[in-house]
Amino acid sequence: MRPLTLITLLMFLAAPASAQAPLSTIALDERLRADAGLRVGDTVTLSTTPDGAGTRMVVAAFTRRTADPSEVARSEYKVRLHLDDLQALLGYGDRVDRFAVVTRDSAATERTLSAVNAQAFGFRAHRSRDIAVETGRTFAVINRFHRAIGVITILASAIFLLCIMLLRVEERRREIATLRLIGLSRRTVVQAIVVEATAIALLGAVLGTGLGWVSSLAVNRFYQGLYRTPLVFSLVTPDVVLLAVSLSAVLGVAAGWLAAQRLVQRAPLALLGR
Amino acid sequence: MRALLALASLIRHPARTALAVAGIAVSSAMLLDMVMLASGMRLSFRELLDARGFQIRLSPKGTLPFDTEATVGDGRATLEALQRHPAVQAVAPNLGTQLIAPRGEVGVTLAALGVEPAVQGDYTLLEGTQPARGEVVASRAALRALDRRLGDTLTLASDWDTQLRLFRSTQVYRVAGVARFHYLGADQNVVALPLADVQALDDGARDDRLSSIMVRLRPNANAADVARDLTAQLPRVSVLTTADAVAQADERLAYFRNLAFILGSVSLAVGFLLVTTLMTVSVNERIGEIAVQRALGVQASRIVQQIVAEGLVLSLVGGALGLGLGLLTARYLESILGDFPGLPPDISFFVFQPQDALSAMGMLVVAGALAGILPSWRAARLPIAATLREEAVA
Repeated sequence: MRPLTLITLLMFLAAPASAQAPLSTIALDERLRADAGLRVGDTVTLSTTPDGAGTRMVVAAFTRRTADPSEVARSEYKVRLHLDDLQALLGYGDRVDRFAVVTRDSAATERTLSAVNAQAFGFRAHRSRDIAVETGRTFAVINRFHRAIGVITILASAIFLLCIMLLRVEERRREIATLRLIGLSRRTVVQAIVVEATAIALLGAVLGTGLGWVSSLAVNRFYQGLYRTPLVFSLVTPDVVLLAVSLSAVLGVAAGWLAAQRLVQRAPLALLGR
Repeated sequence: MRALLALASLIRHPARTALAVAGIAVSSAMLLDMVMLASGMRLSFRELLDARGFQIRLSPKGTLPFDTEATVGDGRATLEALQRHPAVQAVAPNLGTQLIAPRGEVGVTLAALGVEPAVQGDYTLLEGTQPARGEVVASRAALRALDRRLGDTLTLASDWDTQLRLFRSTQVYRVAGVARFHYLGADQNVVALPLADVQALDDGARDDRLSSIMVRLRPNANAADVARDLTAQLPRVSVLTTADAVAQADERLAYFRNLAFILGSVSLAVGFLLVTTLMTVSVNERIGEIAVQRALGVQASRIVQQIVAEGLVLSLVGGALGLGLGLLTARYLESILGDFPGLPPDISFFVFQPQDALSAMGMLVVAGALAGILPSWRAARLPIAATLREEAVA
């Protein structure tokens, strides 16, 4: 039975702190301050069952939720007690669930793991990174889902861009026919259209980056408020911007080239409708 | 006639039309997927809860069933109180724990459910029989992990004593059946055994304790009313109707619902922009032709109808293609999200309902019609003589 899981079930009652009794202190989830109107110095009664006698404790602090994705959708409150108080409350004796150990460096981590697993009876040491990989499976799935959505979005953008470029070159077929008739080579025409398409794509990418950044702020604000967590849901990093701009440029070049091919493969007079 | 003219106008530029249709198809596929995602989880979760025929679930106060390791004491008294209620037809108690199948010093960990086999709603038996005392039914994954078959025996321990390096409370069980567990992941190692066997583990440390209780009501009983009665009678448990459980799940899955709303809106906006751009350019190209039609006496309203019809045709054809594409991409996205660890096999994220397809198509058709209105309005208001003169000069 995990104590921190169980403690989320506790009932609490606010009452004035007693001056005589030396009560233990407790740190409460920050969300309880808003939801239950509790303040530092209030006394709460904790019990492992709704109708239990309970233990009185003084609220010493409020703690903010950590940015832990695995807890984001959970609405339970977390409270932090002194270890001996929690052991007494649960009748847990001198038992603990786990120890967290800080090592000096990675070599020390390896030595500690080997030493604990080889010698210490009753303990199994794990590297934090390995535990994170195991618990991160959920987020690996979310990442794959987001990537798949991204691919569909890129496909839609590519078609949109190609459509726009096609419309633009179709609109200018007379102008391009005239340029061909006064001696411009097909290659020059294709290059001009590709440059134009790339410029449009890059301009769109810059505007899109700005829009993405604003959307990212809105998304973070919305979800952080909804789940009451400091977790950052959407992050616009230089890598993401670089990927978006590069992709746009590639799509721009491809769309421009394809659109230009339709134009330069027809005779200039045919483009003029003769 | 108007539809024919609209169609002729679209066929005049096949590449452009094909691209526009492809763009709308991708947008509408995404829109359909997001409509399915927004309602799919709720629907499949509700179906999962309803399928077993239990309308009410009880769990330790303040928790959801099997959300924590908390248990209810006074199990027998709670069950008796439930059975006394006139609207209650059957009660299925459940006690969850972990068991270990010893294998060296590590062992294979299994999720274990203590159930009353005659009334349980946690699994469907695929092979064999319901477990008697000293027997288990196991998931296929568990049998694979333990290299056991129906009729084999297996040794299970309740705990690993870390100090003495010994398995505690070991007992040999016979595999009486193979089952599909509805509320646990398809790849999870699960066994179910009689409730009394689980309560007797560790010298009866779990005696009279329960993790959750499912309640089947008599026909025509109102679940909300019964839940209110039971809440008043049993202060140490949370009483949830199926609607309550779905609402709780909804709260946790708000991320996907919001994501579906945002991406669905973006898809709709992209489809709208695509049709608007295409129709604007198309009208600009045909300004002379429209002026001639007007000069010949064609009414402005007919011009508007023809151009709006073009937008509608594009939206309908793109939307119809998008329907098929959307179902394919939904299957692909479902296969990704289906890898969530511990996801029950009966839960789906994307559930197709005809009304979803209709609402996606409806939104797209409205967007397509709206997209055609502005360019057609401009075309219909052209000064006829001036336009004809300008076109002639050009």
